[in-house]
Amino acid sequence: MAQNETNLDDLILSLNSIEVMYDSVLLAIKGVSIGVPRGGMVALLGSNGAGKSTTLKAISGLLKAERGKVSRGDIRFDGKLIGDISPQDRVAMGICHVIEGRRVFEHLTPDENLDAAAPQSMSRRKIASEKERMYEYFPRLADRKSSQSGYLSGGEQQMLAIARALMTQPRLLMLDEPSLGLAPFLVAEIFGIIQRINKEQGLSVLLVEQNAIAALEIVSHGYLIENGRVVMHDTAESLKKNSDIQEFYLGGGEGKNFQDIKHYSRRKRWLS
Amino acid sequence: MDWIFLAELTVNGALTGLLYSLVAIGLVLIYKSSAVPNLAQGALTMLGAYVVLAFSHNLGWPLWIAIPLAVVIMFFVGIGIERVALRRLAGRPIVMILMMTMGLDIFLRGTTLAIWGGSSRSLNLGVSYDPFFVGDMLLSRIHIVGAAVAIAIFIASVLFFRTRMGIRLRAISDDYLASWSVGISVEGGVALSWGLASIVAVATGVIWGEVQGVDQSLSLLLLKGLTVAVLGGLDSILGAIVAGIILGIMESVGSFYLDAIVGGGSRDLIVAAVLILTVMIRPHGLFGRHDIERI
Amino acid sequence: MFYRLSGVHHNSYKSDTKMFPVRTDRNAIIFLLLLGIAAPFLIPSLYLNGYILPWLIWTAAVLGLNLVTGWAGQLHLGYGAIMAVGAYSAVHAARFGIPWEFALLIGGLASSLIGSLFAFTALRVKGLYLALTTLAMQFVMDWVLTHSPAISGGSHASLQAPTFALLGQDITSDAGLYYVAFGWCVLVTIFMLNLKRTGLGRALVAVREKDFAAAILGVNSFYYKVIAFAASSFIAGVTGALLVATFYFLAAPEQFAVNVSIQVLAMVIIGGLGSIIGSYMGAALILLMPGVVNQIFSGVAEFMGLEMGVETLAHIPNAAYGALIVIFLMVEPLGLGKLYANVRDYLMVWPFDQLKK
Repeated sequence: MAQNETNLDDLILSLNSIEVMYDSVLLAIKGVSIGVPRGGMVALLGSNGAGKSTTLKAISGLLKAERGKVSRGDIRFDGKLIGDISPQDRVAMGICHVIEGRRVFEHLTPDENLDAAAPQSMSRRKIASEKERMYEYFPRLADRKSSQSGYLSGGEQQMLAIARALMTQPRLLMLDEPSLGLAPFLVAEIFGIIQRINKEQGLSVLLVEQNAIAALEIVSHGYLIENGRVVMHDTAESLKKNSDIQEFYLGGGEGKNFQDIKHYSRRKRWLS
Repeated sequence: MDWIFLAELTVNGALTGLLYSLVAIGLVLIYKSSAVPNLAQGALTMLGAYVVLAFSHNLGWPLWIAIPLAVVIMFFVGIGIERVALRRLAGRPIVMILMMTMGLDIFLRGTTLAIWGGSSRSLNLGVSYDPFFVGDMLLSRIHIVGAAVAIAIFIASVLFFRTRMGIRLRAISDDYLASWSVGISVEGGVALSWGLASIVAVATGVIWGEVQGVDQSLSLLLLKGLTVAVLGGLDSILGAIVAGIILGIMESVGSFYLDAIVGGGSRDLIVAAVLILTVMIRPHGLFGRHDIERI
Repeated sequence: MFYRLSGVHHNSYKSDTKMFPVRTDRNAIIFLLLLGIAAPFLIPSLYLNGYILPWLIWTAAVLGLNLVTGWAGQLHLGYGAIMAVGAYSAVHAARFGIPWEFALLIGGLASSLIGSLFAFTALRVKGLYLALTTLAMQFVMDWVLTHSPAISGGSHASLQAPTFALLGQDITSDAGLYYVAFGWCVLVTIFMLNLKRTGLGRALVAVREKDFAAAILGVNSFYYKVIAFAASSFIAGVTGALLVATFYFLAAPEQFAVNVSIQVLAMVIIGGLGSIIGSYMGAALILLMPGVVNQIFSGVAEFMGLEMGVETLAHIPNAAYGALIVIFLMVEPLGLGKLYANVRDYLMVWPFDQLKK
């Protein structure tokens, strides 16, 4: 599939048919293969519980906090297998995961949030200049940098979570539902900033979204996950045109009844 | 009423209270980073004092070597306890975590006494026992020294929590998963907090060892430290200091009046009552945080 | 080997609610009961009254604490204080001339009353804070006992218990005292076994798992918390009274101090939260261990020709007791009951275990 189209060396991240088990019994992901090109932006689409967040956690290593395990397949970052590497070391390698639900450090100020995420080896001067850069990307944060983060608005918290992740100097940024519960203009603003960083810094981005319309506007490729499987993969342009995608995720299409939808969903699986 | 006497009771109470704060700060350091109520802090305090004694009396080394050496050893003892015993209990019900720290308490006390024996020994810091007069008030020198140490440790902790490492510890206490996601070593941070609490335990042990002698009763400071920590809010260092002063004064003044009625020994009763009332009325204490609820 | 089953399968609701769904279990229990009855004829009275009797009484206490901590999920660090209430009320009642049957009842009810006060704290807080409050209440009780000569029995702070008697018969023989302890332990065990099968037991478990979720389902969690505390305290009270009447023969405050509360909780946890068979095992392990460790250490010291101080020898059992708790929580936090259940599950279908896969 995806890997065949692009040369493996051009991928910063590649997942080769991975399986994830929770508690050694519950199979949450069944053979997901995806690839993120260097400097590219890729979206992972799908409904609730499809396995998108689990995929991200498998990549960042946070599965271990939830007693999950990658039971099959391999994950390569920059050509290296990372399955046995601790989450901290993966961050040091350049993978950063912005977890779902904008979990900022509520009792710290935004400024301290950024400090906390700076790598241990980073010099004081570098930290200061990096923070300046973040405030330049997210001017809203600069205004509130010494108030308690727990009292920021939802949009500001999401921006802070992204800025905090950028402080770790990632080469691959993974965002889990950044648009959740935010007003459309904020979503546009955040996505605009992500796009800008992607262009300016060559940062690779893996975006998990339910808001497919917004996501497909900024990414180059999209994967559709259902029930722990990749059921469709294509460029953003053709995904937007695909009638099934329009039906399910873009709210378009001509009101088909539920039976038809079932039928489509089956066909989709066969095709993939 | 003799106002000088009341003032003396108050000031001495506040000074003693600050010595309780030392125990409480140790508890808060650990609770803040990992939400573990360390019921072994009393035993750690006792162990700290015995280790200092082992160097200064058994080996005859001067205190200025013995104490730093004990600090280093206890730092690693604390880290070791976290690594070996507490880490694998993460996520277990609180009853098991409490039992673990109580088991550690029993184990540390038993081991310490099995090695060094239970008879009370004095530490002899070289602080004069002559009373110290402020105006007409009579104060104890060692209590003043101890209160100064408590304040110093308080200031050091406040400054520490502003450093990068300190900020990381606070981040860990806020959100484990988010800390992991940005590459903070949660395990390392929690272990460090145990190490720091054990260092505080050495300071506590030395001061209290001078006040009342080094023996098993040092571990009983746990109840007072716990009460102070809860009254101040289990995750607040400032709370530990303020609540220490409050509890100290209540205990000293209250027991003076109560002892006349019940015939002595009412200090422990006051401490227990403060603990019960705090939990009933304001479980998060004076300065402890409610979890932020965003509107 | 023993069970010869292919698994436990039920055809009716009735069979599902049986006390012992497995026949081998029932037979084993009957065998153990017979062994318990025959014990005075099999075991020298030194061991019977020095080890078996206190073990049975402590087991009853552990079962009582398991009711409130293991089943209803309420942390309780003041169990010793509750036992003290029962013990002192019963002994005072007996000294006043009330027959022991009623004195025990008075002890149990007095404990229930005080224990229900603990429940009112449990209404307000839970988890760590409940543990701290009950711990503080234990200290208050310790203080009251040691500071009120009227209760603790004057300057020596010890209170002689009158000769134990039931139905007008003085019970002084070793075997007689043993049967009293045995009977009480069996009674409490049957109560606990039955509790599992009733709505009350299920409600308690619901309250433990998530009290507000239970409340949404219509389980009045406060009511059940009070019931749990009251029932557990009743058991504690009678057990405390029996402990004094059949084992210590005089009541002293330190018999029910804070370390006793911690010890009973340790028995509960090492046995396994909520496990009945575990309660027996946990009590046995904690009671026997200090003696065994002492034997081992003095034996090893003698063998190696080491001089060990009296103080060292005196404190080693304590260190070992603490180490036992720590190691158990590290290795098997779910306790001996869980280990037993693992073995049982394995043996249950043993020669036929290919059926399970």
